[in-house]
Amino acid sequence: MTRRSSVFAALLLAAGVVAIPEAARAHAALIEAETVQAIRLHAQYDTGEPMVEAQVIIYAADSPTRVWGLGLTDAAGVYTFVPDDTEGRWTIQVRQAGHGATAHVELAQDAVPVLTASAGAAGQGWPQRALMVALVAWGALGTALFVLRNRKRDNASA
Amino acid sequence: MHRLFLLATLLGGVSGGAHADRLTLFASGEDLATQGFAAPRLTRDGWALEFTRILATFDQVTAWQTDPPFMADGPDITGRPVSFGGPFTADLVDADDTDLVELATVDAPKGHYNALSWALVPATGGDAEGFSLMFEGVARRDGEEVEFTLMTTDGVMHACGEFVGDTRKGFVAEGKPGAVEITLHLDHLFGRADRDSGGGMNMEALGFDAFATGGAHEFALGRLHIGHVGEGHCHDAPL
Repeated sequence: MTRRSSVFAALLLAAGVVAIPEAARAHAALIEAETVQAIRLHAQYDTGEPMVEAQVIIYAADSPTRVWGLGLTDAAGVYTFVPDDTEGRWTIQVRQAGHGATAHVELAQDAVPVLTASAGAAGQGWPQRALMVALVAWGALGTALFVLRNRKRDNASA
Repeated sequence: MHRLFLLATLLGGVSGGAHADRLTLFASGEDLATQGFAAPRLTRDGWALEFTRILATFDQVTAWQTDPPFMADGPDITGRPVSFGGPFTADLVDADDTDLVELATVDAPKGHYNALSWALVPATGGDAEGFSLMFEGVARRDGEEVEFTLMTTDGVMHACGEFVGDTRKGFVAEGKPGAVEITLHLDHLFGRADRDSGGGMNMEALGFDAFATGGAHEFALGRLHIGHVGEGHCHDAPL
């Protein structure tokens, strides 16, 4: 079973396109909903304070020096992403205010991901314990994939 | 000059020349070393600092390939080591345009060097003899100008995880030499006026008021944890 094998692929609005006026059909919008396996990371300081709007950099297992994805944590220090089917060690770095933390997630077919992340070292001061990255979720995530199809129109100014 | 050497190293590596499978060690005090503390990035107590020299001495420097990756959560690193040796005394003000000072290059097996151990140790000779870290410069605040020399004899052992920065580092491949970096965070020592005054860094930092009489002062590194790998963390322990 692949990580995307649970896709139920409901095509929600395709039929609705038929009913909309001709002018609107020029940019048809389709929404496909599916369930995917996602990784959710929680970045926080050792005080428990979340790392809000921290930069997240993702490197896929097959290209460890090329950025696969970029993002920002939310107000709770959480960032969720859906990896592709590349197996091996993915690396996620979280950076804020001159300090960064690294976490690794091992992805393999039909296996629960294995996380390697720093939770800080006992007896160390604030800088070493400042950042913690935890894998807090691996599982099904319902998503809606918006597909915009720009159809050619005779009247480009309309 | 450092840039030219690095460029030559990279070109040599790309062409499959003698520099293939090499690993270069750099040290950096970041732009706070080369540009000083200037507004708005003053010390936590409002001083502007201009450094003429920052002499730091490193020893027992070893890059490691670790699997699983070492996460800087203890003093011991297990993996495949490549030793740079030492000691190396670097002036972190005399750096290249990217604030790096090149220390050494060694042959290294291919792989990802995702951990680095190193010691900050007192220099055994030269202008900084007896001191592991020495700052020379001028401090200014409200029209007052103070020349200073700040020194510490403290030795600190560091066990660091992967470099964290704008790009990943430490990868050595066929024809592609790699780099590892020792980074000193000077704001942990002096604090930052543009950061939260109640934050961990500013609560722990020495600031500059204690040295405002000018001249030579000694300080203790204590638990300031200035040693890093880029933005990545290290486990540290006094020697």
